[in-house]
Amino acid sequence: MLAGVFFPAVRNQIQEWNWILTMPRIRSFAALLVLFTLLLSITTSVTAQRSGIDTYAITNAKIVTVSGSVIEHGTIVIRYGLIAAVGERVSAPADARVIDGTGLTVYPGLFDANTNLGLAAPSPAPTPGPGGGGGFLQAQLRAAGPASGPNSTQPPGLQPEVMAEDSIKPGGPEVEAARNAGITTALSAPRTGIWMGQSALINLAGESPQQMIVKSPVAMHVGFSPLRTGSYPGSLMGVFSSLRQMLLDAQQYQKAQEAYERSPRGMRRPELDRSLAALIPVLAGKLPVVLYADRQREIERALDLAQEFKLHAIIAGGVEAATVAERLRERDVPVLLSLNFPRRTTAAAPEADPETMRTLRGRVEAQKTAAKLAAAKVRFAFQSAGLTNMADVRGNIAKAIENGLSREDALRALTIRPAEIFGVADRLGTIEVGKIANLTVTRGDIFDRTTRVTNVFIDGRPVDLRPATPATSASPGASPSGPHADEARPNFGGTWVISLNINGQTLPGTLVLRQDGAAISGSIQTQIGTSEFSGGTVTGNAFHVVFGANIQGRPVDLTIDASIQGDDMNGTVQSVFGTATLTGSRQP
Amino acid sequence: MKRTITRVLLFSLLATLPCGALAQQPRSDNPTETLIRNATVLTITHGTLLNTDLLIRKGKIAGIGKDLKAPANARVIDATGKYLMPGIIDCHSHSMLDTINEGTLAVTSMVRTRDVLNPTDVDLYRELAGGVTTLNLLHGSANPIGGLNTVVKIKYGRPADEFIFPGAMPGIKFALGENVKQSSNPNLPGTTRRYPRTRMGVEEVIRDSFTRARDYKKTWDEYNAASKRGEKNLVPPRRDLQLEPLVEVLEGKRYVHAHSYRADEILMLINIADEFGFKVKTFQHVLEGYKVAKEIAQHGAGGSTFADFWGYKIEAYDAIPYNTAIMARAGVVSSVNSDSDERARRLNIEAAKAMRYGDLSEAEALKLITINPAIQLGIQDRVGSIEIGKDADLAIWNGHPFSVYARVDTTFVDGDILFDRDKDLAARAELAKERAQLEQAEPNRPSAGGRPPQAPRGRRPSDRDDDMWEGDQP
Repeated sequence: MLAGVFFPAVRNQIQEWNWILTMPRIRSFAALLVLFTLLLSITTSVTAQRSGIDTYAITNAKIVTVSGSVIEHGTIVIRYGLIAAVGERVSAPADARVIDGTGLTVYPGLFDANTNLGLAAPSPAPTPGPGGGGGFLQAQLRAAGPASGPNSTQPPGLQPEVMAEDSIKPGGPEVEAARNAGITTALSAPRTGIWMGQSALINLAGESPQQMIVKSPVAMHVGFSPLRTGSYPGSLMGVFSSLRQMLLDAQQYQKAQEAYERSPRGMRRPELDRSLAALIPVLAGKLPVVLYADRQREIERALDLAQEFKLHAIIAGGVEAATVAERLRERDVPVLLSLNFPRRTTAAAPEADPETMRTLRGRVEAQKTAAKLAAAKVRFAFQSAGLTNMADVRGNIAKAIENGLSREDALRALTIRPAEIFGVADRLGTIEVGKIANLTVTRGDIFDRTTRVTNVFIDGRPVDLRPATPATSASPGASPSGPHADEARPNFGGTWVISLNINGQTLPGTLVLRQDGAAISGSIQTQIGTSEFSGGTVTGNAFHVVFGANIQGRPVDLTIDASIQGDDMNGTVQSVFGTATLTGSRQP
Repeated sequence: MKRTITRVLLFSLLATLPCGALAQQPRSDNPTETLIRNATVLTITHGTLLNTDLLIRKGKIAGIGKDLKAPANARVIDATGKYLMPGIIDCHSHSMLDTINEGTLAVTSMVRTRDVLNPTDVDLYRELAGGVTTLNLLHGSANPIGGLNTVVKIKYGRPADEFIFPGAMPGIKFALGENVKQSSNPNLPGTTRRYPRTRMGVEEVIRDSFTRARDYKKTWDEYNAASKRGEKNLVPPRRDLQLEPLVEVLEGKRYVHAHSYRADEILMLINIADEFGFKVKTFQHVLEGYKVAKEIAQHGAGGSTFADFWGYKIEAYDAIPYNTAIMARAGVVSSVNSDSDERARRLNIEAAKAMRYGDLSEAEALKLITINPAIQLGIQDRVGSIEIGKDADLAIWNGHPFSVYARVDTTFVDGDILFDRDKDLAARAELAKERAQLEQAEPNRPSAGGRPPQAPRGRRPSDRDDDMWEGDQP
């Protein structure tokens, strides 16, 4: 019936058969046969309407199958979305649209093993009305909080029943940027939370979410960052305890439900609970758990938790995974390895403490992690981990290769390994007959910095590759509006004596701002405490920054919006506590 | 004949055991046997021994005496003119915790410091350099009933699970007074303040929690009995991680370490404990302990206090530096603690202050940081004094540890040298070179624009107790 929704003409025809079917006298086999033939012809016409051409052949190309040896000059035939034939002696069928692959290399479509692609970005906090107060708290929680399931027993952030599948939307610039980089398939998971929800594996093309989804749910995702709403759990300790309690509750829930099913008479009906029900496949080891952990101790803690409840664990991030390689191999825990290597992007402020040796060593070591995991036989797949500039993704893979990772292992980490980890190796990840025709075609070796992606096929159909927009490709230094625009920008830097007015109460403080082009960072100090922030942005004579602070022992998100006139500042500070007006003057 | 064969078999089995242990830890720089020669040994429990040798074998103290023979391959350390004392035990620490307070609720007995250990915290190394080898890692004092503690040996350089002190009694943090009722928090508009807000409320929260714990235990007892009777289709009750530790307290299987200041609140908690039939193992801080020392002693609780740190809030105004001595004389097992990564490096001087204020003897003052905190943590059979069979957790000092000029040359944990002053000094040039190279390395070179480097790790302020600091949020 799906076809009916999209094609009114088809729907009309179906209605006509319904009429035929309801006629009591037409029961003969012949009539059914006629009907069947009719149906078949309609289905074929629908396919033709949707795709136009569905047979392609890439000839004379170098084919890196990943499953077998490299074919130096071969042909791939794509039909009905699948790989129909591949080999040296294969010839293009007569009805195929032929792409001359001379000088091109064909790879299996690349995976990004953990993303939020297709999921809407959280909407910015709404501007509060005059007075702020409690209503604003609710508004902000609704707007900025994690995705929330209906009728949940749990607060947002602790709802394992949330499914990425339910909020995936096709298209968008991020999806396009990923495809331009040759990525055809991505694991897409909810962005925030402790129990973040369940991810879906999607192909990065299709007109509807249903067409995009390859598998859902793929895994339960667990982040370890405390809730920022002021309620429990507000610390890392609390996060572990609440995870543990919910898993125990789910075990008990399952037992209660089973007991009730066995013999409901004389037993009080156990309440239904979607959150706990969503954890039952996790406890059974049927739904893997993606645990977000970068540092050694984070990974060890995540593995401890997984072992405690016999969970099928996958580590996401894994910057220091090489230090835990032995345990990862013994437990057969794969890693969705971050390509967002830690790096220092600007010079430190002159008054800053020197960086620790651990930080300095960590930056060098992060680039060696992939090679070490490969040597230790730990399965891993690459993820872009929030890198928006796909050139950085390719550049960082190149760095991993410079640090000892073989090109073969690097390619596997982008193709067959993620397919295995997500349980779809029977349909994706290599170039083999019968698999989904996701292909990435390049001119030159995929890992050379100058190589260009020329064609991408997703579900057997070519994808329009557009040149990257300047915003994603140009480095900040080389941007056309570079130095000149900086000069036009007002200077926010310096120490500001500020005064916060919260419903008539005045709170004095100090605001230190450091400006670097359109980026702003610094610290705010009041009698409540001191918070460092970074990642702020400058627009015109105003700046905007959102950061986490500890207020009354609770982690709280603060948003500062302020504009300056010379040495005077005016603006607001928003938090769950309400909105404070901010006035300040720059210290000479 | 049969007997002989059994014996031979047994013997050969036994003989292979130590070899297995050896194979597990091939540590060339830490041989299994060490002989420390000619030291002044502060045994704590058996006085001071002059010109005495001490033999360490497989992590334990194997011999104490004059002219001990060094076994072949043993490491020999000449400690002539130096002092050997047991590793210092800090009964109140928050080192190596990534987060200290779960402050959102009034009762957070479900959270565990064990879950957030950071074995790479450099404070641990600095504490080793101050002769400290054992820490009681406590949850903060944000709530009347806080999280579970962890007793650790400072096995710096090893994974977190090797830090856990084997066999130490599990414990839990309680807290009373100003931190708990959040009296010094700014009252921001639009906020709902957490119950309790008064000392009355604190008492009610604790009593309510133990009442719930008693009911919880009853529910499980009934279920277990029914299940024993063979009743069919039973559903086990919900496991409640918040109440389980409190049941353990009621059953005497978990120690209560209670942050406290005022005499009245100390008596209040003793009353609740008597009412529910449990014991408070230690009162922490306990700055007004001198006012109710007799009652504390009678209850059987210990007191773990500051030497002379006071006045940082209203409830700390009545403190006197004689507190430790008065409590000790009244029969309270007393210790001095740090509650600070900085003060933890000089607990020897904190203990020495008890000789100046209150005239404790040298032996009594030494106990404040060794055997007494060991008793308070239930680990006195393993550490806290120099006796044959105890763990080789030791420090060699270049002078008497109560001298302000004394410093630690070598610290042992389980017989392994984990701090060595000479090695530390020698490694500094090499480290500086490595730093220069790393700072020049490609991934570290800053480019234009982008995010500034991460702010340096926030330090826990040492000018107050463990009230509000949240730890590093990862």
